[in-house]
Amino acid sequence: MTTATKAPARRTLPPAAGAVPVTAARQLRLELRHNVMPRLLPLIAALFWFDSYRPSTAMPPYWVFRTFWNMGQGHTIIDFAAFVAGVAAWMGSRDGRRGTADVLTAAARPRWAVQLATWTATAIWAVGGYLAFVGVSFAVYAYQGVRGEPPWWWVAVGAAAVLAFSAAGFAVGVFYPSRFAAPLAAFGALFVMMTSSQIGFSHRSGWAQILPTNSNGNFQPDSGMLYPWLPDLPIARIVFLAGITVAALGLLGLPAAAGGPRLRRGAAVAALAGVAAAGTAAGLASTARLGPHGLMIPALHDAANDGPIAAAADCDASGFRVCLNPDYGSDLGHVTAALAPVVREVAGLPGAPVRAVQTAARYSAGEGQGGQAMTISGHPPVLGMPLGALGLPGAFGWTDEEVAGQLRLLFVHAFVGAGSGAGTPAQRAVQAALLQGAGLPIAGQPNLLSFVGLPSWARVTGGPSPGPHRASGPVYAAARRFAALPPGARHAWLAAHLAALRADQLTLAQLP
Amino acid sequence: MTAAGVRRSAPGAAPAPVHGAVHGSLRLACLYLVSRRAPAALAMLAAFGALLWAALHWHWNIAGGPAAQFVIPLTIETGAAAVIAVTAHGPFGEPERATGRWLPYLRLAAIVALTAAAVGLLAAGATGGVLPGGFLDLLRNVAGITGIGLLSAVVLGGALAWTGPMAYLVLTETTLAGNVTTPWVWPARPPHDLGGALCAATVFAAGALLITVRGAREAVRD
Repeated sequence: MTTATKAPARRTLPPAAGAVPVTAARQLRLELRHNVMPRLLPLIAALFWFDSYRPSTAMPPYWVFRTFWNMGQGHTIIDFAAFVAGVAAWMGSRDGRRGTADVLTAAARPRWAVQLATWTATAIWAVGGYLAFVGVSFAVYAYQGVRGEPPWWWVAVGAAAVLAFSAAGFAVGVFYPSRFAAPLAAFGALFVMMTSSQIGFSHRSGWAQILPTNSNGNFQPDSGMLYPWLPDLPIARIVFLAGITVAALGLLGLPAAAGGPRLRRGAAVAALAGVAAAGTAAGLASTARLGPHGLMIPALHDAANDGPIAAAADCDASGFRVCLNPDYGSDLGHVTAALAPVVREVAGLPGAPVRAVQTAARYSAGEGQGGQAMTISGHPPVLGMPLGALGLPGAFGWTDEEVAGQLRLLFVHAFVGAGSGAGTPAQRAVQAALLQGAGLPIAGQPNLLSFVGLPSWARVTGGPSPGPHRASGPVYAAARRFAALPPGARHAWLAAHLAALRADQLTLAQLP
Repeated sequence: MTAAGVRRSAPGAAPAPVHGAVHGSLRLACLYLVSRRAPAALAMLAAFGALLWAALHWHWNIAGGPAAQFVIPLTIETGAAAVIAVTAHGPFGEPERATGRWLPYLRLAAIVALTAAAVGLLAAGATGGVLPGGFLDLLRNVAGITGIGLLSAVVLGGALAWTGPMAYLVLTETTLAGNVTTPWVWPARPPHDLGGALCAATVFAAGALLITVRGAREAVRD
């Protein structure tokens, strides 16, 4: 009997050209057909409608408002996260649950490659579903005439998050092949999202900006209208989520059964690269600082994004000239009408503005979107008027009349020279009297001052939560006294004393 | 000759010993629980209890209004309910149904026992701090969401039974932020609210009844 020990080793024949791609494509097609993800897409669609789309329709028709809830606060990601992670875990645990892992290990293709095909099919369904649902909702927004520019960068962040959850869930399934892999992955995804929201609400800067549901500073009041959407933070988040994806997929290739040494080394490199990318992105996010148009990351910032979006203003010259950005054109009549009573009240007085122009609203770390203050500057004086979240009926459920009251309050606050603070008692008294002259009774002013969307000085003067104070005390007493003067006498006193009032040189006792 | 139709022991045959019957019943229950991975489920429920303890002890609550304080405990309760629902998945299918005379009772007993264990372990975890809503809230939420999971198991199959509780959590998370008053969103109702308790109890009873009678649907071609 002869042995084959001296026989030349049989060489593995190289695959025929094109055989591997064809095999991979066939396998991917099979995985796409047998994937569980499509069965859950109707459920996700229903959740997406209820949780992401439906609440957004209550906001004014601007992209920045319509998409703040679902893209800015990441509710679309929350809608997808649990189900994508759960299904991916179910698909990842398939071979382990069936006990076919050993069979696949001995198959022609490395086990890692087979797993990647299964994951790719799951990810295609998940990301495809995400893009389809978001695409349909955006198409509906566009059909409804929503103004501004869509936040495409934030759509990409959502897609990257869906991809990351699918990879992480798949890894859970591969390493824990059990019936409990899917619910555990789904629970983990939701728990991470809830924790991310919790950290995001309280951390306005630092590493926490990398979290997908941290909404601090990512959506500015006029993004996509008066200035472009800044891509800095979205890029960092995409890198972070892509890093998690690559790291999770790299981990799958580390076990001995995953493939040959070269392949496992490649998987290790991929896992390390993914971790490095995620860490780098978190580090970049920690350098973010709030600029006039959003969060800027110095290493990623492109100065070309700092300029305003050029557009010819829409103006109403029927009386007091008001000019707004064309995206706000439909609000022109409302804003003009809202300002008219206070314009009449201060007409002819020193420093009274001759026209109003819209200025870019800014998100403030301390004030959020509510820190928008009007300014009066220049010769002749011009009212600088940021609208943003303010001045928009429908935002936060405000009525036309409530918004008009806010605009009049901010106008008069700027006119008496109170600046960014509450103002002196004399300034507050004159402010109250002028507002009464403009049709806002003093008795109702504390309620107006307690609106959430106003700068913090308003709440200070309106009274702490939960409810406004009554219109009483020395300031309101002086205001009632001043408002009771004949219009001519009030006008004459203001003409003589406005300079001193704005210079904080008057006391309540000096009011007539 | 066949034994078809023979339902009684032959006259004069010795009766089965009582301790043997008890031992057999216990063995049957144990085998059933093992086939449903109940020991692993219990371990996970204990882990959820520990997680709840940590969340309450270190105040991992969502910033915001009072409703936001419920979100993290509710997420953990939902995870526990999802794990219980997945135990409804049976690996044997037709042979088990054809031969298991006690199967409906075993299903019911297992579900009730696991739900009780979940409530107990989470209540133990709640000693880590102040649980928003207290024990009644926890009992209502776990029972009701487990009922949703069981209904999902009947409709979608045991393997996908976790989707029902997760979907309910997402819906509730949205409605907690609003002013929804329907008792079907019972986590948004006060702990002593009768309507919420009745809805949760109804859903649990419906889920337990259907899973007892029909079992989880064998639908997933994984």
